[in-house]
Amino acid sequence: MKEQVVCKTTELEPGEMKAAHFGKQDVLICRTLDGEFYAFLNQCTHQGAPLDKGMICGATTEDSTPGDYHYCRKGEIIRCPWHGREFDIKDEGRMLANPNKRLASFKVRVENEDVIVYK
Amino acid sequence: MGKEHIRIVDTDIHERVQYKDILKYLDEPFKHYIQNCHWVQEKHMPYTQPTVAGVDRADAKIPDGKPAGTDLAFMQKQLLDDIGHEFGILTSALDPSPSSMHGWYEMATALASAYNNWQIEEWLERDERLYGSVHIAAQDRDAAVKEINRVGSHPKMVQVLLPIDDIMWGDPFYHPIFEAAEKHNLMIGMHHNEPPVYYGKWPRYFIEWHTLISTAHMKQVTNMIFNGVFDKFPNLGLMMIEGGFTWVPHIMWKMDQQYRDLRHEVPWLKRKPSDIFKEQIRVTTQPAEELTKQEFMSLIEQMGTDEILCFSTDYPHWDYDSPTRALPNLDLELKKKIFAENAKSFYPKLPNSKEF
Ligand code: FES
Repeated sequence: MKEQVVCKTTELEPGEMKAAHFGKQDVLICRTLDGEFYAFLNQCTHQGAPLDKGMICGATTEDSTPGDYHYCRKGEIIRCPWHGREFDIKDEGRMLANPNKRLASFKVRVENEDVIVYK
Repeated sequence: MGKEHIRIVDTDIHERVQYKDILKYLDEPFKHYIQNCHWVQEKHMPYTQPTVAGVDRADAKIPDGKPAGTDLAFMQKQLLDDIGHEFGILTSALDPSPSSMHGWYEMATALASAYNNWQIEEWLERDERLYGSVHIAAQDRDAAVKEINRVGSHPKMVQVLLPIDDIMWGDPFYHPIFEAAEKHNLMIGMHHNEPPVYYGKWPRYFIEWHTLISTAHMKQVTNMIFNGVFDKFPNLGLMMIEGGFTWVPHIMWKMDQQYRDLRHEVPWLKRKPSDIFKEQIRVTTQPAEELTKQEFMSLIEQMGTDEILCFSTDYPHWDYDSPTRALPNLDLELKKKIFAENAKSFYPKLPNSKEF
């Protein structure tokens, strides 16, 4: 099994993300507000934008009705720096507008202060 | 087929000037209004683009904090060199170009000249790949004609960017502008810049407005064709920028059908509307809907020609189209046409001699 330390836990505050390398692949390491780490391919499924240049944010949710926005999921959504597509970090990187599409993801575990990505 | 095998002529790139940087190109008293009176153009759009960084790609911001599109070196690195552009056409209609100004004709006219000088000195003469658009303040038509005559013969100016106003472009009001453009081998470019897409008002949401930009393109094309502009100015070409392209077959069919029934009203049309379109109108591809190759080819077939579409990125805006990802993987000959040859055959001032 291929695995690699991609960064230290201290390099990412909850709610932040950063680009890293996993072998030859560009990966995106995300840390949600509960402190968990996630890793995806750092490339948008749409036209390939580098996702680390986007933002981790929340989302306006399906509970919204015209004229009344519900905003939640703070720190759990990756938003693409180009066309703004939203990917759910805690739902396998699925796209909010079309959950059949998702970001390629990697497994992550933390040992001591090391964030380790593996397949 | 990798990107390295085809040349790219990008028909929509947005350079951007900041108010402070245009000052040195402005004469008094206009300079004073920006420098000391803090004049900025009145904005009309009630929303922002609900994206990560507003109108721009979030990764196109200049590392020193300046807004996207303000720095040639950064644009070279992120766009021109990275993708390997052969040519790019600058089209910025962002403030403070006069493209969405109404009233205060003198200020708008002064801004147009300042903008053109800035564009020539700081972009066109600093990168041989870049070609430009003449900005005019058409509300003072005669001043606009003067401006076209002043900078239109610059070897790197390829089109006149005509601001969208409440006089449609088929109106004789614009004829002197078309005449001046024709004289200098310049095409006319329409880049959407906040055109009304509802009945004189803004829709409630940006997503509605952005969906319907193509309706503004269809209105202008229909108006110019039926008002006989292309028959009166046979060497004039119109580039419809940033409205996508899936609307083209619809408007061609509709105009032809109407022409068969109602030709009596517009007897000056010597050609079928769709033939006029094929000969004198070109359309940039961005923002491209996601189409399969089959869907894309069916559209081309419906247009009846593969010479209308010209690739564009719209860099550095949020709805940028990647040259390798925005369109389906097309056959080599068609790819060459859409990514470079169509634009080269359309703009008389774009060098057309490089060998493939
Ligand atoms: S490239 Fe990510 S939304 Fe288009």
